[in-house]
Amino acid sequence: MASDRGAPQARSVNRPPPEAKSLLEIEGLRVTFGQTAAVRGASFSVARGETHCVVGESGCGKSVTALAVMDLLVQGAQRSADRLQFGGEDLLTLPAKRMAALRGDRMAMIFQEPMTSLNPAYTIGSQMAEVFTRHRGGGRAAALERAAGLLGRVGITAPGMRLGQFPHQLSGGLRQRVMIAMALMCDPELLIADEPTTALDVTVQAQILRLLAELQRDLGLAILLITHDLGIVARIADKVSVMYAGEVVESGATAPIFAAPSHPYTRGLLRCVPVPGKVKRDELLGSIPGVVPRIPPGFVGCGFRDRCEHAVAGCAAPVPRQNAGGGHEYLCRLAPGWAA
Amino acid sequence: MSGPAIEVRGLRRVFRVGGGLLGRDREVVAVDDVSFSVPKGGVLGVVGESGCGKSTLARVILGLLPPTAGEVLVEGQRLDTMDRRARARLIQPVFQDPFASLNPRRRIRDIVAMPLEAQGGIGRREVEARVLEMLGRVGLSAEQAGRYPAQLSGGQRQRVAIARALVLRPRIVICDEPTSALDVSVQAQILNLLAQLRRELDLTLLFISHNLAVVEHVATEVAVMYLGRIVERGEADALFRAPRHPYTRALLASVLTPEPGLGVPDVGLGDILPDPANIPPGCRFHPRCPVAEPRCATDVPQRGAVECLLAAD
Repeated sequence: MASDRGAPQARSVNRPPPEAKSLLEIEGLRVTFGQTAAVRGASFSVARGETHCVVGESGCGKSVTALAVMDLLVQGAQRSADRLQFGGEDLLTLPAKRMAALRGDRMAMIFQEPMTSLNPAYTIGSQMAEVFTRHRGGGRAAALERAAGLLGRVGITAPGMRLGQFPHQLSGGLRQRVMIAMALMCDPELLIADEPTTALDVTVQAQILRLLAELQRDLGLAILLITHDLGIVARIADKVSVMYAGEVVESGATAPIFAAPSHPYTRGLLRCVPVPGKVKRDELLGSIPGVVPRIPPGFVGCGFRDRCEHAVAGCAAPVPRQNAGGGHEYLCRLAPGWAA
Repeated sequence: MSGPAIEVRGLRRVFRVGGGLLGRDREVVAVDDVSFSVPKGGVLGVVGESGCGKSTLARVILGLLPPTAGEVLVEGQRLDTMDRRARARLIQPVFQDPFASLNPRRRIRDIVAMPLEAQGGIGRREVEARVLEMLGRVGLSAEQAGRYPAQLSGGQRQRVAIARALVLRPRIVICDEPTSALDVSVQAQILNLLAQLRRELDLTLLFISHNLAVVEHVATEVAVMYLGRIVERGEADALFRAPRHPYTRALLASVLTPEPGLGVPDVGLGDILPDPANIPPGCRFHPRCPVAEPRCATDVPQRGAVECLLAAD
């Protein structure tokens, strides 16, 4: 699988040092759809060569955050932020044309269901080549050659033959590999992946995640991965942002967050996950009562307070961001160490 | 001593698939000579990848699809000798997507009342009382009974589907991926609810899922399906502690538990995907098997609890 065929003329060797400046910086991102505040002041950054996972349940704002970064929100959505920078460019003021040039080039993306992102009427080869010729120009032949090389790179056998095939002729796992190869056509700096393995079988999921980790190592790619699956986060993330009701309620490096989850929501979520050998049969799983609330613009206080066993009257007031050390932060009235 | 709740003997289901303009029709063997039984009060977890035949198996057991061969016995009675009403009193389904399986134009109380009304001969008052009692058991209020499916969350809709399945007080419930469309916190609520109802109502469950961690949590026995056959089955604790079939081992290795630092395992299955229309000779798993030997391509493993040539000893 790890063949070198067609590996992009690469940044692969000089991977930047870990303390390198962030590639993507998001500060105070807000997105509202009419009477719903979908993202409420989310902040995090993604460094070069780093995998940053945004994790949360449906409706928490994780996908909207990704779409807001790419400027792909539906019409009628209002986006604002204190800061939204990508590789030194200010995305808040970047003209639409230049944003379009950035997307698919320096900033690529893959989605959950590859079948809906691939055009069923065109061959794999022509769709992959189009990405390259649109952003980089040049001839179709060169683009197809590059496409074949990348298909080999993502572990697809007989890449030459695949170029002539249509999306429906491939399995779900192969289609997702094609999407990844297509995302790599212009040698991006950032790959945004929204639930890339959710539609796949577990065995295929493991293969795709291994591929992403390998590509990141070899190409120095930064990955922003959106997922609902804490198992995936634990296994591949360098940094984590846990989102709830439009806010990043806990963030930091992966190991400390799993070792000492400090926001009541993160703690509750981890208790909900069945882990083989950990929770006995007939013993109840942890669960979080209630449902995710719809938050109107202008909402004040902790968004989790209606479902939180630690909630007090004061939780209706603005909540402090607590610092648990080493970049581990969480949004709660409870001081660090409360759960120990 | 009573017999098993479900007994399946030599069950086979074949689909004919058109071969396209010039191609010949092909046969897809979705369920291939499957036999097993589930004791009363047991939970059989059926796991496997998409296309392994687990949902077809569920549909045949429910009587929604006739088997090509073999028979299904529910509490000792042949399923095909029963009429729909008798079958509905014994065995009920809960499917993956509660939105697709609930009529959007009917109120929750009418959806749950439907199986009772279909039986006929039950008075209005009693129908109403039984519906409200069952909604209460699944954690829904009388006020919610007047709402439409679209007004409920995904977890609440799955509670409605469970209430509808249980309102006739069946003996057996077939759950096909009942929590796969739900968020983790809601999945935990529904799994806890199913466990509680199983105890209270003395149910036998067939629990189909692609998620091994979920199956490990709920099942007393596990059957691992691959291309239409059960390639390994056994008591849940033993199977999870010491899986014997290489496919079971690969499936277990693929479970990503929330433990940082372990990375993503190499499950060693390669890129060839199973095609139910083209089942390999010999051991059907051999093209993907990380430990296959030459004889695996020609010799068919013996029928049994572990269908692997190499696990025999």
